[in-house]
Amino acid sequence: MRRFIAGVLSMVIAGGVAACSPGAGAADGDVKLSVWGWRTEDVTVYNKIFEKFEGTHPGIDVEYRAYKNTEYNTILQTGLSGDSGPDLAQLRAYGELQPAIASGGLLALDAAVPRLASFPAATLDGARGRADGKIYGVPFAIQTMHVVYNKKLFADNGVAPPQTWQQMLDGAATLQRKKIIPFAVNVRDDWMIPIEHEIFGATRYGGAAFEKRVLAGEAKFTDPDYVASIETYAGTSKYWQPQFSGVGYEDAKALFVSGKAAMFPGGVWELAGFRKSAPDIELGIFSVPPSPGAVLDKAVTPGFVDGSFGVATRTRSKDEAVELARWMATPEFGQAFSDQLIQISAVPGTAPTDPLLKQAFDAYTANPSPYLMYADFSYGTPPGAEVLRTNVSAVLLGTGNATDAAKELQRSVDTWFKPRG
Amino acid sequence: MAFRSGRRLGWVAFFCGPAAVLYTVFVVVPLATALWYSFYGWQGTTRGAPAGMANYAAVLGDYPYQEQVLKAFWHNVVFFAGTMLVQNTVGLGLAVLLHRNPRGKRMFQTLYSLPYLISPLVVGYLWSMMLSPAFGPVNAGLQAVGLDGLTRPWLGDPAIALPVVVLVNAWQWIGCPMLIFGAALAAVPAEMEEAAVIDGASAWKAFWQVRFPLIMPAVGAVTLLTFVGCFNVFDLVFALGGSSGGPGQSMDVLGLLFYRIAFQGGVNAIGLSSALAMVMFVVVFGVALVVDRSLRRREVPW
Repeated sequence: MRRFIAGVLSMVIAGGVAACSPGAGAADGDVKLSVWGWRTEDVTVYNKIFEKFEGTHPGIDVEYRAYKNTEYNTILQTGLSGDSGPDLAQLRAYGELQPAIASGGLLALDAAVPRLASFPAATLDGARGRADGKIYGVPFAIQTMHVVYNKKLFADNGVAPPQTWQQMLDGAATLQRKKIIPFAVNVRDDWMIPIEHEIFGATRYGGAAFEKRVLAGEAKFTDPDYVASIETYAGTSKYWQPQFSGVGYEDAKALFVSGKAAMFPGGVWELAGFRKSAPDIELGIFSVPPSPGAVLDKAVTPGFVDGSFGVATRTRSKDEAVELARWMATPEFGQAFSDQLIQISAVPGTAPTDPLLKQAFDAYTANPSPYLMYADFSYGTPPGAEVLRTNVSAVLLGTGNATDAAKELQRSVDTWFKPRG
Repeated sequence: MAFRSGRRLGWVAFFCGPAAVLYTVFVVVPLATALWYSFYGWQGTTRGAPAGMANYAAVLGDYPYQEQVLKAFWHNVVFFAGTMLVQNTVGLGLAVLLHRNPRGKRMFQTLYSLPYLISPLVVGYLWSMMLSPAFGPVNAGLQAVGLDGLTRPWLGDPAIALPVVVLVNAWQWIGCPMLIFGAALAAVPAEMEEAAVIDGASAWKAFWQVRFPLIMPAVGAVTLLTFVGCFNVFDLVFALGGSSGGPGQSMDVLGLLFYRIAFQGGVNAIGLSSALAMVMFVVVFGVALVVDRSLRRREVPW
């Protein structure tokens, strides 16, 4: 009996060892690169894009593996510090990227990927390590923020995309008279609040010009212009859906795609979802014109880097992984990314083919504005966006005012932010 | 004798072993790890230098954590008090009703207990849809009967968001106190209350002075379960108000705050969130012990 058990055990162990031994699956000698990401919906398209790379690089197999969006950060952290992690990984941007860099799981790519030098500095900021200033990923996408509108509802009611702030309010008033909700706005899931604030308030506080001064320590969030930008944004709530504070993200989108609301302030990332759930609605976008008293005299388009692809320190195929990262910085990858994933590629020399995305991209290229709370104030805890959304929602609910909201933001940022100047 | 007790020990180990191993692996080890982690500074997933009590000092003493912790803690307290008031008193009432009128008892017990077969996340999403001012049937129903004045943004109104959470939570769990109280009531011999009534006590008095003291152990158990549940709540509130607990953080609780620090908390997230988790554990465990002791003292022997 004992001998029988020992026999079974040894067979099990031998089988286990054979299954785990390296090279078991790569009998053909190919190098396999595993790229991790959070876009579960894009796995097929990514793998198709990587086929181009495999075509010109025989002997390298690339596989894109996606994990659940909300759990990705944790999974990646674990992967980067263990032996069964990825060779390359899709990385979050700005402050959200820093923990992965701090654990030493990523290679600096400044020297390894020379093409990075051709990327605009503002784009590279999304992949920069705060502590050493090095670049840890090849940025892949730019996201921009606009007001998305329903072209038919606009045309039926004689409303045109506005050229001035007053035209925007007049159009909203017209729609409201005709029992159409002008703006479907998400307040209950308050993460959208800093985004909506940028869309309506960027011209008021000064966008990139303010960013420069606040980073240099010459301006503060308590400055009258920034305070007024919160008021400007909150002032549009007259034209939001009734009882807006109880309406969540999914509800607000549903109001827009069901044709009950004519406009939805949000990012270009919403377009794909809108097209899918309401293919018959013709979509348009516009950037909000400067508000009364605005620091800037023309409409700006807020935007930010969505993320980048970095190389894991623990990869066993460093040369091949770096080669793939280099390829991801070429227009060949950028254009394929843009065309097949319908997103705005971050690679210089590419442009979206989709007309709406092209419009978004052109507007952003002509007059960009930062997503301040993400690009510059996501590096401490709690992140600026969290403080802003809590305090601005108090303004929207009527339990607080813009001056106090700005004061709280400054107070919280002061606990970790050091001006560059 | 020695042989027999050795064999008995073997059986004890055989039956308790698997549970003990599971308990150790899934409860004791993570707890000990969190405690260990909370004494270090972290660089992402890399453990840094020992930080002593710095993480605790930051979570409990520094701006803005201190404010957030206190606010979230207060919301947990309100949530617990509201749940005791609504869920457990109504649960007791239902249990008494069903005990006195056994007709349809099974059916009602099943009906009232059904919601707790659903995940709190699902319950949260269901209710957030029901309460939505845009499409929800609650406001639509009020409007249909001419009560427009009573429509509210419900989860978006800081004054009533938390009471709404209490009600939704009670809707889901009301079956639990009802079943426990029901079983306890059934175990009390009817003669005791009858004797009191014969002695001239009113039904009200007979219940509160004779039957209620006899079901104190059940009251204690329900109170403790409610307390632990209310202080560890996460899924329901997350579904109703997102990770920041709705606009103005009016539904923010310690569980959500922990989630935000742990998963959106930057480079030292592990250190800070472990410290907060330990604080929560100590509070819940400590208060549970005290509550258990004091309730036990009020139990009457019979």
